Amino acid sequence: MFGKGLIKGLQITWKEFWAPKLTVQYPDEQHTVPERFHGRFVLDVDKCIACGLCANACPNKVISIEKQKVGKKQYMTGYKMKIQYCLFCGLCVESCNKDALHFSKDFNMNQYFYRDIPLVLVEREAPAEPLEEEEPAAKAGDKEKPKPKPKAKAEKPAEPAAQTEVAAGKASDKEGQ
Amino acid sequence: MLENLFVGIAQWLRALLGGVGVPVEINEAIVMLVKLVAILVFILINALWLVYMERKVAAYMQARIGPNRVGPKGLLQTTADIGKLISKEIIIPKKADIAVFLISPVLIFVPTLMVFAVIPFGKNMAAIDMNIGVFYLLAIASLSTMIFWMGGWASNSKYSLIGAMRVVAQMVSYELPLVLGLLGVIMIVGSMNMSDIIAAQEHTWFIFTQPVAFLIYFAAAVAETNRCPFDLVEGESEIIAGPYTEYGGMAFAMYFLAEYANIMVICAMATIMFFGGWHAPFGLTFIPSWVWFFLKMYALIFIVMQLRWTYPRIRVDQLMGFSWKVLVPLALANIFITGIGMKIYQAMGW
Repeated sequence: MFGKGLIKGLQITWKEFWAPKLTVQYPDEQHTVPERFHGRFVLDVDKCIACGLCANACPNKVISIEKQKVGKKQYMTGYKMKIQYCLFCGLCVESCNKDALHFSKDFNMNQYFYRDIPLVLVEREAPAEPLEEEEPAAKAGDKEKPKPKPKAKAEKPAEPAAQTEVAAGKASDKEGQ
Repeated sequence: MLENLFVGIAQWLRALLGGVGVPVEINEAIVMLVKLVAILVFILINALWLVYMERKVAAYMQARIGPNRVGPKGLLQTTADIGKLISKEIIIPKKADIAVFLISPVLIFVPTLMVFAVIPFGKNMAAIDMNIGVFYLLAIASLSTMIFWMGGWASNSKYSLIGAMRVVAQMVSYELPLVLGLLGVIMIVGSMNMSDIIAAQEHTWFIFTQPVAFLIYFAAAVAETNRCPFDLVEGESEIIAGPYTEYGGMAFAMYFLAEYANIMVICAMATIMFFGGWHAPFGLTFIPSWVWFFLKMYALIFIVMQLRWTYPRIRVDQLMGFSWKVLVPLALANIFITGIGMKIYQAMGW
């Protein structure tokens, strides 16, 4: 019949009018981020041995690692990513032997100022004297509690950097809203 | 009490002015002025609301939510938009005919506002109860063609000119089926007074006795207001914004709001002519008559909006062909059959 399609069209829009809405009110509610999402990088500083494989794997030379030799070991003093050039390809994460570098689900990395864009994962002073060989001891027994002390010392300088990073993250959250 | 809310206000005002000792003539003039100002305010607020409603309807039909940030549920969105548009500079093209260019967005509201004077919004609620109400409405409403043409011509731009020419062609073509469609109803009632037409529909709405006339009227009316699927006038993909191309800020907003006011006019007209005006269906008379009027009007406005978000725009030749080859013959046939039917009923002694 002539005009049947017109009626059908109206029926469809009428049905859609009452259908549930797909809009997600972004700052208030968010889509669940997929399990393997490539978001902001997270570095497990304790696992990292500053081998530099991730920096080598990077096609864009995003990662710069600063390290000092403390005693017999390499001690990482800086881990910075020029995130504006990052492809989020994941080659660095794949290349990590020690499983120290990971993606997080945080995609909100916008910044107000250009200078805030680089992602500083580690920024700390090297300890003056080599850390005592704690690790085998730690493996041997975890009863003794004073052990983490030097470790904590070593990490202490790292804290401000971590804080700045967190602050940057928070700032970016505000940016997003 | 609600039933006579507005009539009561008018009477109260009359009594108040009479009590102060104002002469009867001035008293009546003041009451009339108040009525017209009330209609003016009503139309402008309604136009704002309809823009919001359009955006909501569009959003809901596209699985979106629509404006919901400004004010509760986004209700103040249009108000904020208008505030922004008012604050914008009025840009006048170098080669534009300045006087006509500026006066056309001011005049665009005039026919619409004049038309609303005769529309009965409820029982005894027409500002002016005119005995040729329908005729007056159609005559004044067709004036807006000229104002669109003024705007398009004065802009001195090719898009504006093409848009304005389309307005004239389209509105003149669709004026004919619009009037011929309404003629069937007027023949049955035998009067052009809107109150008489509504009174004649106390038992049966004319949508049931004149369904073809309603379809013709509605299609022609949607085309009259330049709404989709007949929105060639401002077909964005072809001629930017038609006659409004060179307008910015509030001048554009006036055209925009006038479009919604025009939708209100045609839907109010359809309510009066085919849906029993302010008569309550199913004997639900405890709801005031003006509420019924607005319910019916808004249902029709919703349909107009639904049409926009359902159908694609048609071509110019299809538009003209639809008017002259389909609607006009159909309307003439409808008039013919209505006349024969009336004669048969009269012969049967009804």
